[in-house]
Amino acid sequence: MDRRAVVVTGVGVVNSVVVGASPALGAWLAQPRAAARVAVGHGRPAARLPEATLAGLVDPAEGRRLSRVCQLTIAAARLAVAESGVDPARGLGLVVGTELGDFTSTIAFADGFLARGAAGLSALLFPNTVMNTMAATTAIAVAARELALTLNVPTVPGELAVARAAAAVASGRVDAVLAGGVDELDPLVAEMLDALGDDAVRGEGATFLVLEAEAAARARGAALLGRLEGAAWRALPARPWGVGRRAESRAIDEARRRAGGRAPGFVYTSASGDAERDGWEARVLAAALGDIPPSASLAALLGQHGGLGALRVAAAAWTARSGLLPGDAGGQPARVSGPGLVHGLARGGGHVALMVSAA
Amino acid sequence: MRRVVVTGLGAVTPYGAGVKPYWAGLAGGTCAIRPLTLIDAGGFRCRIAAEVPETAGGSPRRSRADRLALGAALEALEDAGLTAADRADAALVTGAVGGGMLEAEAWYWARARGERPPGWAAALRAILPGSHAETLGHRLSLGGPRHTVVTACSSGAVALAEAADLVADGVVDVALAGGVDAMTRMCFMGFNALKLLDPEPCRPFDRDRRGMSIGEGAAFVVLETAERARARGVRVYAELAGHGMTTDAFHVTAPEPEGDGMARAMRAALAAAGVSAAAVGYVNAHGTATPQNDRIESRAIARVFGEGRPLVSSIKSMIGHTMAAAGGLEAVATILALTEELIPPTATLVTLDPEVAFDCVPGVAREAAVECAISNSFGFGGQNVTLLFRRAAS
Amino acid sequence: MEAKEVIDELKTILVARLKFDPRRAAEVAEATPLPKGVDGSIGLDSLDFIELSIAIEERFGVVMDESEDLSAHFASFDTLSRFIVGRRGPA
Repeated sequence: MDRRAVVVTGVGVVNSVVVGASPALGAWLAQPRAAARVAVGHGRPAARLPEATLAGLVDPAEGRRLSRVCQLTIAAARLAVAESGVDPARGLGLVVGTELGDFTSTIAFADGFLARGAAGLSALLFPNTVMNTMAATTAIAVAARELALTLNVPTVPGELAVARAAAAVASGRVDAVLAGGVDELDPLVAEMLDALGDDAVRGEGATFLVLEAEAAARARGAALLGRLEGAAWRALPARPWGVGRRAESRAIDEARRRAGGRAPGFVYTSASGDAERDGWEARVLAAALGDIPPSASLAALLGQHGGLGALRVAAAAWTARSGLLPGDAGGQPARVSGPGLVHGLARGGGHVALMVSAA
Repeated sequence: MRRVVVTGLGAVTPYGAGVKPYWAGLAGGTCAIRPLTLIDAGGFRCRIAAEVPETAGGSPRRSRADRLALGAALEALEDAGLTAADRADAALVTGAVGGGMLEAEAWYWARARGERPPGWAAALRAILPGSHAETLGHRLSLGGPRHTVVTACSSGAVALAEAADLVADGVVDVALAGGVDAMTRMCFMGFNALKLLDPEPCRPFDRDRRGMSIGEGAAFVVLETAERARARGVRVYAELAGHGMTTDAFHVTAPEPEGDGMARAMRAALAAAGVSAAAVGYVNAHGTATPQNDRIESRAIARVFGEGRPLVSSIKSMIGHTMAAAGGLEAVATILALTEELIPPTATLVTLDPEVAFDCVPGVAREAAVECAISNSFGFGGQNVTLLFRRAAS
Repeated sequence: MEAKEVIDELKTILVARLKFDPRRAAEVAEATPLPKGVDGSIGLDSLDFIELSIAIEERFGVVMDESEDLSAHFASFDTLSRFIVGRRGPA
């Protein structure tokens, strides 16, 4: 079956440290600053987006009805579409990955009822209690009328969304897809994750990429920011929310096979500070790659959130172009070359691998 | 692209556990919408729903939704006769919305009363729709590609479409796909707040329809390549010959008034299957019985198929709107309509809305042998999907 | 309750339930059109009107049946306040 080449033509990033398209991301990658952390509820400090940042990105009249997590999604999606110059009227799909969805609205909706009974129910809030609200509102905001999917998985929602979108473009089902992930911080959720033993430093934000068929992108003169050489997703055995023991998986092999069998010169991992899970990912990478090439995760700098997966794909394209891999703890970047592997492994077993090169 | 066929069915429905009672209920035109027992509906205008009478067993530590999903998934896998080796490579695509919300609500309601029940964090986390895939994947040892789609009321149908793509594109040879939703206070209260519920059992396409009824359940199907099914001699129910997925991009709750997104989804399914409109003998409609959906959907069907044919019916008249499970349950009903040559009725339809230009099979199931049938699922936020099934070659 | 008091309450509802900015809500005049699509309106759509009617039921005890077509009453705060006062009867 003929598979088309897939390229990245736009990037939109919104988090507490980086707001903008690929130049803003590139500037940060060249000199990564860590996000400031503030207390969120009873949980550990986390990287929260200042309110003024978000207010500057969304028009108040439009933002009136949009929940915060929807605003994050729309802001990042618009940045990506603007950079890419793609025309949504010619067909644009949307894939949104999220770990936590709109918990905030769900809690607020329940609180309204608990406080005031049926009269306390908010018709405005109710649509936000269904996790597709970010995709529904973003589809309206950017006029995306082809498929619009929301994918829910811990840790790797952004990676999965990009992999799924790449498959849709590669198979010829759609010519352009906006793909990425989003999560917001909520105090109760932070408490919940702590209680479940997730030690990751949390953050919030959204990152979206525009993926297109390479031939179509070239034909319209778009700037190619990177190429998705191969993408695959599988599952490793694990209890729900659990960390598994098996290290052998086919996702990395399959992604490499689709990328012509090349070995990655660097890896962006999904290490997040959740020690058990991080250890499992390291074993999986070692089983697949032998010696693990220079790696970075960026989660310690930005805080773990659903926007990281797509951000890492954009970062991998930047690294492939620049030859520089930023250090997670600051310090000098490593010099690397060749295509990169963007790798994600979730508690519960979700597993994603993407091979990324400079276009 | 490879041809995709259905080789296993599983369902847990308001008629009980299993595909047999499900089809018996649908074929008999039995309305399963009754007074609520699972949640307290005091103070609401609508107090009825289609509840699953008893769950499919399973550990009481699991959420109700997990138990429904497991029951349906296990039946489908056994029905298809999949081996452990098959399962190790099989893809899993789940459509979900509410997740373990019912149990999490109970915890949250208790918290509001000042109690601190143990296991609160796990209960809260089980709200996430992705948790079913973890449970199913672990319990059923499914090791292939796994993802959870949340597209509101069309989630179950999207799951089948996604799995069909994985099989057609050669990513996997076998996939398990379906949808699940259990009753929740949030869903019930929310639709009440939006004034979208009928205090009586819903009446799709009826001139006097007043809104939806809510239901719960789960349905899963096994999909594999036609070649593989033939090689191992398994019974094929039907071919999943094509699908179309579109987005209205219009409003978070209201459907786009011209039904353009709905029509595009139906046309895309026909095109993907290489089938003409004339070959479709039955439309299993989304048919929620809201004044808006049924009017817009029937106009969209008319634009694609012309007026007067095919037969159209909505089984939401019997099992209510089962949310994320609807696409899966309605796919199973559509498949069985093909194999049994019997169209399930719009059981509660009394007076057809004069604006609806179709025979909506009122009251009683209709014998009819059709070549192709489609199932429509149009979710909140304009998330439209149409699945096209073709009768199995004899 | 008089129309003027009702209007003040409606402005509170605009902020508390319809998420309007307080300054914007304060600027809404009696005759300002409410529904989207009308020149100079504050842009309320079908979902906003459902929320508004829930709030009106809660605050004023005025129950609205969805089989009634009340859209004319929701044209502006002027028409809405008179509708509410009329439905409540003498207070």
